[in-house]
Amino acid sequence: MTDAATPGAAADVGRPRGLLTAILRLAILFVLAGIVLLPLSTTVLDGFKDLGELHDNPIGLPRVWLWSNYWGILTGQRYWQVLGNSLLIAVVTVFLTLVVSSMAAFAFAHIKFFGDRYLFAYFQLGLLFPAVTAFLPLFIKIRDLGLLDSYWGIILPQVAFSLSMAILLLRNAFKQLPAELFDAALIDGCGYLGYFRHVTLPLSGPILSTVGVVGFVGSWNSYLLPLVVLNSDSRYPWTLGLMAYQGQYSTSWQLVLAFITLTILPAILMFLLAQRYIVAGLTAGAVKG
Amino acid sequence: MSGLEIDSLVKRFGDVEVIHGVSLRVEDGEFVVLVGPSGCGKSTLLRMIAGLDTISSGVIRIGGRTVNNVAPKDRDIAMVFQSYALYPHMTVARNMTFALELAGASKADIATKLSRAAGILGLQSLLDRFPRQLSGGQRQRVAMGRAIVRDPAVFLFDEPLSNLDAKLRVQMRAEIKGLQQRLGVTTVYVTHDQIEAMTMADKIVVLRDGVVAQIGSPLELYDRPANMFVGSFIGSPAMNLLKGRLEAGERPRFAMPGGPTIALTQAPRAALGRDIVLGVRPEHIALGGANAVAATVAVVEPTGAETYLNAKLGDEDIVCVLRERVAAMPGETLALGFDAAPLHFFDSQTGVALVD
Repeated sequence: MTDAATPGAAADVGRPRGLLTAILRLAILFVLAGIVLLPLSTTVLDGFKDLGELHDNPIGLPRVWLWSNYWGILTGQRYWQVLGNSLLIAVVTVFLTLVVSSMAAFAFAHIKFFGDRYLFAYFQLGLLFPAVTAFLPLFIKIRDLGLLDSYWGIILPQVAFSLSMAILLLRNAFKQLPAELFDAALIDGCGYLGYFRHVTLPLSGPILSTVGVVGFVGSWNSYLLPLVVLNSDSRYPWTLGLMAYQGQYSTSWQLVLAFITLTILPAILMFLLAQRYIVAGLTAGAVKG
Repeated sequence: MSGLEIDSLVKRFGDVEVIHGVSLRVEDGEFVVLVGPSGCGKSTLLRMIAGLDTISSGVIRIGGRTVNNVAPKDRDIAMVFQSYALYPHMTVARNMTFALELAGASKADIATKLSRAAGILGLQSLLDRFPRQLSGGQRQRVAMGRAIVRDPAVFLFDEPLSNLDAKLRVQMRAEIKGLQQRLGVTTVYVTHDQIEAMTMADKIVVLRDGVVAQIGSPLELYDRPANMFVGSFIGSPAMNLLKGRLEAGERPRFAMPGGPTIALTQAPRAALGRDIVLGVRPEHIALGGANAVAATVAVVEPTGAETYLNAKLGDEDIVCVLRERVAAMPGETLALGFDAAPLHFFDSQTGVALVD
């Protein structure tokens, strides 16, 4: 008769050890949570304080809740303008990335054509270096294309740079769909395009969400590319808008923090909405079959 | 006319030829089973009929029409896959009617065909479920429903029962056979299980290494295997193959090196005086008899209805399936009789059956 360790037995025998482990685990989790949440809470709460209190009491709850800080920003035109720009750029970037990378990934996953391995490797080259290293030639190219100081000057490079990761992730995800499904679809009368539309895309919700969210957050937070490309105030995304804000309120940190809180919100919101898909998408890619 | 004809079909993957000229004729309404060990090319053959793999050379005709370069959807076929290949994100109803939907059939037409197929397979209550909510057997039925809805000229089955447990397999075997008899559709069925082949087929095609070993009805293959491979492949437990020399004389005698000499009642003239392999099915060996020979018992396996007796005849292992209960212990000697047994004589070099 094999001895199976029952949970009760383990608790009885190792109770002191079990308790210590549990306490240790909780402590570590608290510390980690604190490390993540503390800056966030500080940012949010400091938006409610005035500058003096910010210096005295940076981390704690505000003694006086200054709603006017947030309200002033929300009722100003600047906030909505920069937010709108960021949103426009991010949405178009994500849309184009998804469209192009999903079609490319599908071709790489299902179709054998001359040079497919080389073409795929070429796309993967983009993973080798950070976009920043390419900024000088990129700037020259954008200028030559006449796209300086335009949304497309930001959107197109962002799409191009996200293609490497996106095509890699999507191709691997598409390959995991059973091959017999494609055979069945062929017999049912589905061509490649039909299969893409009717089977691959509907079944790839998680991975498409992952690529979409990663792309969205990347575009939302991008600072250097808009800085290099844009000149007009009216087209600034919030990252540049913040910079201008800082110039105006050179020491009004409480307004800067309030502004930041208001601009982080959309990204957090999007993540909360899609997080179920993101986790599924990330883990689906990790395990084969 | 919805028959299927295959003429000298050859398949090459790069430089490797895997199917070496297979010819086959399936009559309208016939249930043909392609059977053989793994790697014999049966699935490749099926895929070529379906149009999922290209043909290197040869012709395939469905209903008299050459379909070599015709797309799968235009060949008037339907296929049931080993893993069912149901679309996970579609309901059972949509899975079954997807092909009709793509072909632009009218809603009324689709509804009629769907309810007919669902009725035949008992799927009416499952139409709004998703594949993940179904059991293996139910999924298999949906896969068959998808094929039936299309009302094709030929049904193709690719080892559909391999993923089911033994009990369900037995049940589904009868269901599929009954269904095919009822619908009368020409069917090509691929399996590695010879029992499935024997119980379901009107005609069996035994394949080995890309070549047809024999084509015939189940009982033909059982009674008159054309070669050693078919003899040992069909029938379970497998046919006993005993090596020895057939000596001519007043009565033919089979001399086994390192074993007894068995007196036979008759033998084909072509086999006399040669080194041959004698094939005898386990279920045809009897205990005792006039010319019985001594064998040493190794293992006795009672199944209740029968007794499987594993013994040693000289150097050779022999399996017998006996109707009576045997109370012998390992090491004991029993007399085995071959007088009433149908015997099969194979050339020891080529394995070809030797007949008069």
